[in-house]
Amino acid sequence: MSELKIVGKSVPKVDAKIKVTGRAMYADDIHMPNALHGKIVRCMQYAHARVIKLDISRAQKMPGVVKILVPEDIEKYNTYNTGVMDLFAPDELNAVWGEIGEEPIFTKHVKHQGDALCGIIAKTEAEAEAAAEMVDVEYEPLPVYLTTEEASHPDAVQFTPEKPGNVAYRVPGGLFPEGFYGYGDIDKGFAESDLIYEEDYYVPKQKHCQMEPHSYIAQFDDQDRLNVWTSSQMPKPVQTKLHKLFGLPMSRIKVNQTVIGGGFGTRLGLIGEPYVCAMALAVPGRAIKLNYTREEDWVASETRHSGRFKLKMGFKKDGTPVVYDGYMSFEKGGYYTHGGVVWVSGILARGAYKFENFRFDGDAIFTNKVPCGAFRGYGNPQQALCMEQLIQRMCTDTGIDTIEWHKKWHREAGGDPWGFGVPTMNCGADEVLDRGVESFGWHEKKEINANQSGPKRRGTGMMLGVHCSAGFPVLLEHTVATVTLNEDATAIINCSISDLGCGNHTAITQIAAEALGFSMDDVFLNWGDSDANAFDIGAHASRTIWTAGRAVKEACEDAMKQVYAKAAKFLKVDPAELVMEDKKIFTKEAPDQIVDLKELLWKGIYAFMSPEDFQFKFDRGQIIGKASFMPFANNPGWYACFVEVEVDTETGELKVLECTYVNDIGQAINPAAVEGQLEGGIQQGLGFSLTEEMYYDENGLILNNSFTDYKMFGPTDMPKCDIQLVTTEEQYGPYGARGVGEAGLCAPGPAVGNAIFDAIGIQFNEAPFTPEKILKAIKGKGLFPDKRA
Amino acid sequence: MKTRDITLHINEEKYNLTVDANQTLLQVLRSIGSTGTKYGCGTGECGACTVLVNGKTSILACLTLAALADGMHITTIMGLEKDGELHPVQQAFIDRHAIQCGFCTPGMVMKTISILEENPNPTEDQIRHELEGNMCRCTGYEKIVDAVQHARDMMKGETR
Ligand code: FES
Ligand code: FES
Repeated sequence: MSELKIVGKSVPKVDAKIKVTGRAMYADDIHMPNALHGKIVRCMQYAHARVIKLDISRAQKMPGVVKILVPEDIEKYNTYNTGVMDLFAPDELNAVWGEIGEEPIFTKHVKHQGDALCGIIAKTEAEAEAAAEMVDVEYEPLPVYLTTEEASHPDAVQFTPEKPGNVAYRVPGGLFPEGFYGYGDIDKGFAESDLIYEEDYYVPKQKHCQMEPHSYIAQFDDQDRLNVWTSSQMPKPVQTKLHKLFGLPMSRIKVNQTVIGGGFGTRLGLIGEPYVCAMALAVPGRAIKLNYTREEDWVASETRHSGRFKLKMGFKKDGTPVVYDGYMSFEKGGYYTHGGVVWVSGILARGAYKFENFRFDGDAIFTNKVPCGAFRGYGNPQQALCMEQLIQRMCTDTGIDTIEWHKKWHREAGGDPWGFGVPTMNCGADEVLDRGVESFGWHEKKEINANQSGPKRRGTGMMLGVHCSAGFPVLLEHTVATVTLNEDATAIINCSISDLGCGNHTAITQIAAEALGFSMDDVFLNWGDSDANAFDIGAHASRTIWTAGRAVKEACEDAMKQVYAKAAKFLKVDPAELVMEDKKIFTKEAPDQIVDLKELLWKGIYAFMSPEDFQFKFDRGQIIGKASFMPFANNPGWYACFVEVEVDTETGELKVLECTYVNDIGQAINPAAVEGQLEGGIQQGLGFSLTEEMYYDENGLILNNSFTDYKMFGPTDMPKCDIQLVTTEEQYGPYGARGVGEAGLCAPGPAVGNAIFDAIGIQFNEAPFTPEKILKAIKGKGLFPDKRA
Repeated sequence: MKTRDITLHINEEKYNLTVDANQTLLQVLRSIGSTGTKYGCGTGECGACTVLVNGKTSILACLTLAALADGMHITTIMGLEKDGELHPVQQAFIDRHAIQCGFCTPGMVMKTISILEENPNPTEDQIRHELEGNMCRCTGYEKIVDAVQHARDMMKGETR
């Protein structure tokens, strides 16, 4: 590959200035003339109830109220689910697992605290809020199911007739010849194992806590177009889902994506769009603004899937991984949406190690908690937290060097890690392990920590992981990009690429500039405009660079191919011989015969015949390059994480001292952006394992719905982060890049678990590993009895 | 609803306003188009709404009743740029890649200015402690802390 000029450089983000000046327009910053305000009336006092009576007569008389939408008003619309599996997986597969869209916009069967009952439209936000207080609701309380066991009871109230037994989702094992998802003979595997480890884990309900609460505007205009402003991370699928939900033609739906104040999965698919659009359709012509309060965000936007994971693994004495058998049972929450996350857990678990036999099964059971949806990692953090701890226990028991075990048994290039017939092309696992051991000082730290006394104990732990670069081949992958070359030799890229803050708009601009041979300033990416932008899936599965990056690169290459064709015709040479430098096109043989790119493009648009020979200098027409790219590969990035913790055995308090994180990212398009995104992932991954969990009382009401009571890692909690990017060869991704968006979150949890194990010799099954749990376990084990005396 | 007539000096512009007695400074700022100041929680927990009083002291606009801010000189993120020049703290946030989604950024920048006003030479530890009330979910704080240190170094020796 020729030398890269822009790719691989930590250029400042294209949107840094607009954000640092406060001028970036998040949805709530947009003020439409004469806008009305919406407010969703939610059930806050019950997690499970039937609405017997909804009386809006008092609310209707409140000042400023324009209209109130009740369940009867939205019966004409379809029901839906907020996820995107209906679009991203084939109908046949959706039929197998029973994809449903059972969620109405306003419900009479409250399935979780915060479920939506009706919607107020008023002149001001304050008036809408005041009217919401005046809606009188009579409920018939129903039994509240907070665990999968309770909800599975034969007498349990059914969440939907479509899902008997409240089983929202089952891993579709029957699809596979073995009769289960996996391979080999599980019983035989255990019979042949020397060492068998089995644990029952709990993985917590983590909240995204994106800093921008959800906010929307919608307007049904006089050309019968439904215009929506949303910070969805999937604007095009949202357009499709609104089309399905409201029955409007796609040409009558315009999605304007606003600047996104953090996503992490919370803005994947639909959230508040159905409500604000239903309101807009009820008051044609008027813009409606709908803001979620932070309080609503806790009860009415999705979370990570929590639940139990029964994991059993068998090994030979020498550590050979013989058999893996996992059953994950997720608490689905009130609605079906994203039922398939549990299977993705298994798919990602399978990708890591060369177990001779492998089975993953699981389900998702309705419960009366806020629905679980997509969250960075999409099932990977949950399974990795458990598997890596169990592997560490085996290594500790047998005395096998854990680094060596990981090196020996990780999957390799050429394998088909996920079992869909698509082998990967490369694997940097060994490199990331080596780099991590060195950079972290693994052996040195082990030596220093070998002889400790006193109440504070340090320990080190590591993990190895792998995460996809895209959804393929499990899910649809598709991005369309066009590149319009302007007459002044600059370019506009049209592509519906979402930037959740990680820098995708910058990285994609870098890719385009590189592919065109332009400067960053010569290229502008137009995103978030569903009229101008053709299809793109949106931001998920760490896919943007992998798929959209290549789509944009190919569109640029298509444009340049057209440029060279025109230039070659003029110079009467073979286009393959042409090169471009500083927008001058020539052949190596005759460098003085130059076509000026600007002239070529200008005269393609402002095309006039020469008065001398009545000829056009260049072929006429504006150049627009395009690509509709669907990858046929998914080369994962491997990552390793090393942490050191200090446990205060008297209080159970834990401090994460250091974290080295190594990722085999291939070529980083913008290294500083990659580092930042990984550091943010680490913050979330540490929280996932150590502090973050949504707690409920026995009535299903959330107990810790505030940033004070829901503890995230703050600036003083964060360890020193050492991010190492390993550049291994990548044949398929654009300029050798692989996906990296989610991996940061998946890694720290298990490494911390193993570091705690190293420090105090205890492993924990119930995440998050809070000081209370740690102290209780230390006391229970009678560890460190009176060392401090 | 009781109203109050107040005067606010926002980014050196004078506003005579009639506000509801229960309206917060954050609501008033946003309603007059000063939307750079963000609502993240409304309960004083995230710092997204941080603004400066008298160019120095940071306050949380979501916890400040507009009526009580009567007469105050408020600086918001939108008032930092002077003659097309960014404030050094803004520049440091760009240079050190401290901005991701950017939603915490206005509060972070304002808080940083107040930290450096109070102590022009804070250590990394002190910076981390001072930033505890400003949440960021994107960056893990690494690059933000780095940017604050960079701003500190850039502003040292400058007359302010
Ligand atoms: S909005 Fe003021 S502290 Fe969160
Ligand atoms: S950059 Fe997104 S919250 Fe800080």
